[in-house]
Amino acid sequence: MLFAGVGCLALALFLFSCSSISPAHRVTVLGEEGTFPPRYSIVCIIHGDGGYLYHDPRGNAYRADEETLAKAKTVAERNPQAEVFIFHEKRRRHFLLFFPLRDGKFYYYRHGRLLAEESYWRDRGQSRFDPEVEFYHRFRTEGRPQLVRFFLYFGHEIPEFGGAGYDASYSKRMFTVDDLAHGLKRITGDSTKFDLVVLSTCFSGTPHTIAALAPYGRYIIASPDNLHLSYFALDPFEQLDVGLPAGDVSAFAKTFAQHAFDRLTENIQTAVTVAVYDVDRVQGFLHSVDSVYHQALTTLKGETPASIEHCDCAEDPAYILPGMSQGVDVFYRPPRFGRLKHKQSHSGWECWRFLK
Amino acid sequence: MLGRTAFRLFIIMFVMFYAGIAFGQDVLQKYLNDTSLKVKATTDPSQKREILNKSFEKMSKALDKVQSSPLVSKEDRAGIDLFKATLQEKLDELTGLNGYERVSDEQLDAFSDYAVQDMEQADRTVTISLVTLLLIIIIVILLA
Repeated sequence: MLFAGVGCLALALFLFSCSSISPAHRVTVLGEEGTFPPRYSIVCIIHGDGGYLYHDPRGNAYRADEETLAKAKTVAERNPQAEVFIFHEKRRRHFLLFFPLRDGKFYYYRHGRLLAEESYWRDRGQSRFDPEVEFYHRFRTEGRPQLVRFFLYFGHEIPEFGGAGYDASYSKRMFTVDDLAHGLKRITGDSTKFDLVVLSTCFSGTPHTIAALAPYGRYIIASPDNLHLSYFALDPFEQLDVGLPAGDVSAFAKTFAQHAFDRLTENIQTAVTVAVYDVDRVQGFLHSVDSVYHQALTTLKGETPASIEHCDCAEDPAYILPGMSQGVDVFYRPPRFGRLKHKQSHSGWECWRFLK
Repeated sequence: MLGRTAFRLFIIMFVMFYAGIAFGQDVLQKYLNDTSLKVKATTDPSQKREILNKSFEKMSKALDKVQSSPLVSKEDRAGIDLFKATLQEKLDELTGLNGYERVSDEQLDAFSDYAVQDMEQADRTVTISLVTLLLIIIIVILLA
């Protein structure tokens, strides 16, 4: 009798954990939306399926994804005129060792209040962002073309080629910059671009990454070089009514980048590089280096990680063109130690090279 | 003593198999963080240097031992090579070898932070299998 009971419970748990019910139909709605429409829309994806542990100089340990999730919630609560979508992509876990638990969590805030939250299964197929896109289109505010729109991504370096192993829990699953671009395409649909895309990852200021995301954002903030897991500080997003009074996204992007740079340089000894790309103004440079960069990527595809490394594009004559610095604002401080500690500037563009 | 070490290893292995590969990387980061805390806890620069030196060398030795194991795949060997190269660079900089300026006494605390933070970048995750990570951790613990 006891075994039968345990067996039934186990079966029920298994079936529940493997449920294929569409995520948007399992949402727990926690409250009613307000009457006035939002002025800002923020979509935030936080990748947490990997090595995200970091320490502060006092030795306290943090998990980058958990810290970012807490900050994103604070941003959502402090913006009464915003709608905020938060997606937390978590590591695969099991209940009682055998029963898989959902590996994604969605939060939807509007007017500073949490209106819905739900655990969901991340997409394991080619599309990558199916559940996120579905949640977004179900909850988004429609018919507000003047909405100021932000997209924030927090995670490890998004591969430009290959892409296996990005998720520690699903080592064969692929994820590349092109997958992210495809996700943004489906989120934006045929409507307006995001006003600002923030990529809080290492080495995202490459010609290919910026070109791939350019159709979906007016401004992009990224780190062309290394970025510590304490990421870009989100404080400027708190109270957007104050920080973005006249809707000047260009000025806001620069303020955000300067603030992120200042916060990182307080405690971080490794390189700190934050770049703001004015997408329209960098198009000329992107077009002129497109073929040479893609040729380099094709060459690198078969190489092992130990034989290639990133470098400032300014160190490769093929990229030193008159328009290289046009449309890019770079905040840079070299690492305090290591071979590059005397490097005084960064072009804002990151490339690849073979190790000698 | 041996019993306690064996028990710790058992617990670590159990938790790691349960939690996955990322946790294994966490253990290596915690090891370097502990080193940094020890460096900051002493005021004597020569002791600071010794702590850092020993820590890097111990990790390097563990990587060498693991790399020679038949259990380690070719891909893991490449990942270990990357780890070893960054550790060697830090050893070189600490002592002023291979073209590096020697880290000054005043900068040793910051250098210990640098060693920790260099492993805590949002860059491409180094693909080392769980088995290999376990071997590295076991050897680091046994060398302690």
